[in-house]
Amino acid sequence: MDDRLAALEREFRQALAAAAGNPAAVEELRVRFLGKKGGLNVLLRELGRMDASQRARVGSALNEAKGRIEAALAEAKEAAAGEAREAALARERIDVTLPSRRPPRGSLHPVTQTRRELERIFTSMGFTVETGPEVEDDFHNFEALNLPPGHPARDASDTFYLEGGLLLRTHTSPVQIRTMLARKPPIRMICPGRVYRKDLDATHLPMFHQLEALVVDEGTSLADLKGTCAAVWSRFFGDDVAIRLRPGYFPFVEPGCEFDISCRMCDGRGCRICKETGWIELGGAGMVHPAVFEAVGIDPERWTGFAFGLGIDRIAMMRYGIDDLRLMIDNDVRFLRQFPS
Amino acid sequence: MLISLAWLRELLVGADRLAAEDVARALSARGLTVDAVGSSGADTVLDIDVPANRPDALGHRGVAREVAAALGLALAPPPDARATSGAPADGAVRVVIDAPELCGRYTAGIVRGVRVGPSPAWVVERLAACGLRSIDNVVDASNLVMLELGQPVHFFDLARLAGPEIHVRGARDGERLTTLDGVERTLAPGMVVIADARRAVALGGVMGGAATEIGHETRDVLVEAAWFAPAAVRGAARALGLSTDASQRFERGGDIEAPSAAQVSAARRLAELAGGTPAPGLVDVRVAGAARRSVGVRLSRARTLLGYEPSREEAIGALEALGLSPRSEGERIEIQVPSWRVDLEREADVVEEIGRHLGYDRIPSRMLSGVSAASAATSAPRVEERVRDRLAGLGFHEAFNYAMIAPAEDDPFVPAGAPAPLVLTNPIAETLAVLRRAVLPGLLRAADQNLRRGATEVRLFEVGHVFEGSAPGALPEEPSHAAFAWCGSAEPPHWSGPARPADAYDAAAMIDEILAVAAGDRPFRRERADVAALHPGRSTLWRDGDGRRIAWSGPLHPALADRIGVTPGILVGEVDLHAAARAGAPRPSHIPVPRLPGTSRDLSIVLSPGAEAGAVVEALRRVPSPAPASFVWIDRYEGKPLAPGEVAMTLRVILQPLDRTLTDADAEAYRAELLGALESVRGARLRRIDT
Repeated sequence: MDDRLAALEREFRQALAAAAGNPAAVEELRVRFLGKKGGLNVLLRELGRMDASQRARVGSALNEAKGRIEAALAEAKEAAAGEAREAALARERIDVTLPSRRPPRGSLHPVTQTRRELERIFTSMGFTVETGPEVEDDFHNFEALNLPPGHPARDASDTFYLEGGLLLRTHTSPVQIRTMLARKPPIRMICPGRVYRKDLDATHLPMFHQLEALVVDEGTSLADLKGTCAAVWSRFFGDDVAIRLRPGYFPFVEPGCEFDISCRMCDGRGCRICKETGWIELGGAGMVHPAVFEAVGIDPERWTGFAFGLGIDRIAMMRYGIDDLRLMIDNDVRFLRQFPS
Repeated sequence: MLISLAWLRELLVGADRLAAEDVARALSARGLTVDAVGSSGADTVLDIDVPANRPDALGHRGVAREVAAALGLALAPPPDARATSGAPADGAVRVVIDAPELCGRYTAGIVRGVRVGPSPAWVVERLAACGLRSIDNVVDASNLVMLELGQPVHFFDLARLAGPEIHVRGARDGERLTTLDGVERTLAPGMVVIADARRAVALGGVMGGAATEIGHETRDVLVEAAWFAPAAVRGAARALGLSTDASQRFERGGDIEAPSAAQVSAARRLAELAGGTPAPGLVDVRVAGAARRSVGVRLSRARTLLGYEPSREEAIGALEALGLSPRSEGERIEIQVPSWRVDLEREADVVEEIGRHLGYDRIPSRMLSGVSAASAATSAPRVEERVRDRLAGLGFHEAFNYAMIAPAEDDPFVPAGAPAPLVLTNPIAETLAVLRRAVLPGLLRAADQNLRRGATEVRLFEVGHVFEGSAPGALPEEPSHAAFAWCGSAEPPHWSGPARPADAYDAAAMIDEILAVAAGDRPFRRERADVAALHPGRSTLWRDGDGRRIAWSGPLHPALADRIGVTPGILVGEVDLHAAARAGAPRPSHIPVPRLPGTSRDLSIVLSPGAEAGAVVEALRRVPSPAPASFVWIDRYEGKPLAPGEVAMTLRVILQPLDRTLTDADAEAYRAELLGALESVRGARLRRIDT
């Protein structure tokens, strides 16, 4: 019996070596050696015919052999499965240097992105964002802004008129008027939007984008205007930007000014972009004209306010270094896709 | 305004070495921005951007005044050239102002015995520096007066005037006058006419008449220097399209006192350049009062506006330098407004003068503090912004187009019977003559442009206002629309396989995406679109519960693509965001995740030609369900054994109970009712049920 058991184990070891790496062959060995009619069970069945003195010893030898075979089979099975998985994984290899399958990527117009950045800066300083109609009437676009009929400054705005006397707003200032008529001070608002002027050349489009800011409060002064400008532009362009106010004329402010920032291209040393002055003109500003306050029913003795306005398109061009205005309205996807959202 | 540095130096005392850079810096810092410094012959020329409220700076003397204030210089006194002998002017001419509302002052002087000829070289050079061409010594004399004093003067050939009487009156309707440029003009009431006994001889403040023009035979000159009402001159110049050096000055507001000085200067120039002899005396008819205006300013107000308080000495010093004759009166300082400063009316104007003179660099910088209640209430991003983000996220590029389009360009994009577009009275081009009622026409052009440039994948969108006509005088409605134009594949092309071209269902999906952003889960009804611009069989229209048109999408109609010359196959869509978002942004909320198992039934349904899947779901949705039900189309089949034109589609009906387990009886009863409902749908029949 002992010899037969040893022979069986030898036979198993040989067969196992042959079946290594093949899960199906390993499973066959289990049937062949451990199954009902398997070699080990044949020996076990003979155990009953042995006398009691032998039975205990042989029985335990058989059980030990069975344990060894089971362990070897489990080990071989795991090894075989691992190899098969390895082989499968090897077959599933891809070329990782090929391009991925990306979803389409859109973009937001540089003017939109610039406007949003400015809105973000202003709203963080407590400004509301107001909007208004693009088709306006004479009162909101001109008269309430201290531009009565016949005022010479009306010429400068090159207004588009509509049949029936309405017009396309020439600035976003009508939104200031609408806000002041609708709300009592204190007011702290910006109004970004599209505006229209009858102008079309290398540096002008008949439609462009403005952003105006208005603060009305007790004791608001040009010092607040200067501080606000400085804060906005240092946050927009970076801390090293310098700002400057110069006297300027706009009928709806008094005192009025133009505001400049130090040239971003040359850091104020003077270059082609800033015409060697070191400064770039950004827009007009000033203290709200008392006649404007009177037109909207705000007492100019108690309340003062500052306003300023700028062209978003120009700021966007400065921000991204765009030097051709036509690109802004050309809608060329080769241009637009450079501004992913 | 071009200013000659040489001339400027002559008008200032001790300014022979005045440097152009110093002048430019000083003027720019005071609001008379020097745009450029150039040269003309030996002279230096400053190009000054004179703001509309400073007509006093439209002459060398006015600019010299500002330079004198800035640099602490004195103005040179004007040379006195009054004639003392000969026949007096007031015997030779009489002036009557018939229209005092149009002309506040009219002076007439006479210079006899001029000889018309070329000007000396220095005059030619000086005029050239100021951007004018020399004509002859007499015309040049009038231009020199205007360029020096900012006061236009006009010369008549005295012999060609009919009679000694000059009338200043309003033009008669349809009255004709041939102006100096040889153009016969038709005048209208409100324009100023200078007339002799017979006819109009000049258009006051704008241009003289040809009939009384100075010529080689001219000997005696009548010099006109006047003050015309700004609005009248502006109106005439605009109406006739005739903007002149004179009209540009009068329409900004002239100096009522300047005509006398201009007469003196003109007499001197005509004597000097053309050998004329000025007649003594001046005809001076004045209807406008010369009341000296005074304006008060409080230092406390200066502090409120400027953000710092100048000392009393500083303020008075500034106002004195500017020639405003300040006088202290308690807390106030009272100034006298010189006749040439038409811009100084209010306290704030005087504060600006103080601020300007002391320099805007003095203004301190202060940060706003505190947040108002209104601004603290930050609102959610507007629907336009959320839609922009979504479309960019879906792979579309944001485009901008003009709100102006060509007439009729948007006709195929608006419903039949929509109000006519708003029309510009003064368009910049015929292709930009009306306001758009739909965003797509411009976007379509942009997409086509890109395809013509060689792009193969074009996804563009735009969010902007459209304009819907209204009652005359009332503002139009300006709803925001979002639109897209799409050409190419549904997904970006990839090396792994052929790209699937985008189709009508992809386009409709973009509308669904926009509506989901704008309106949350508010339901919309879909139907076949009746938009002329779209493929009639493949386009969808969305309506809200009130039947209002909300959106539409589909392939462009091939006939339209042909007609307007755009690449066929473009997919387009447009949403009225205001109408879609009318119900407001959806409130943030959630429904619980179901914990109970759901169950589903697949209904295979045969649709005959013309029957629509939407009608099936609509009918089935109306059947009361024992638990929340959803309906999903999962496949489509056509071919044998179905009849030609028939399609079989499988609809998965999912019941998802939330609070109790469904019984088989529930599900069976529901199924029976669904089948009953299906029978009521025309053109649909059950093929089989799979569970």
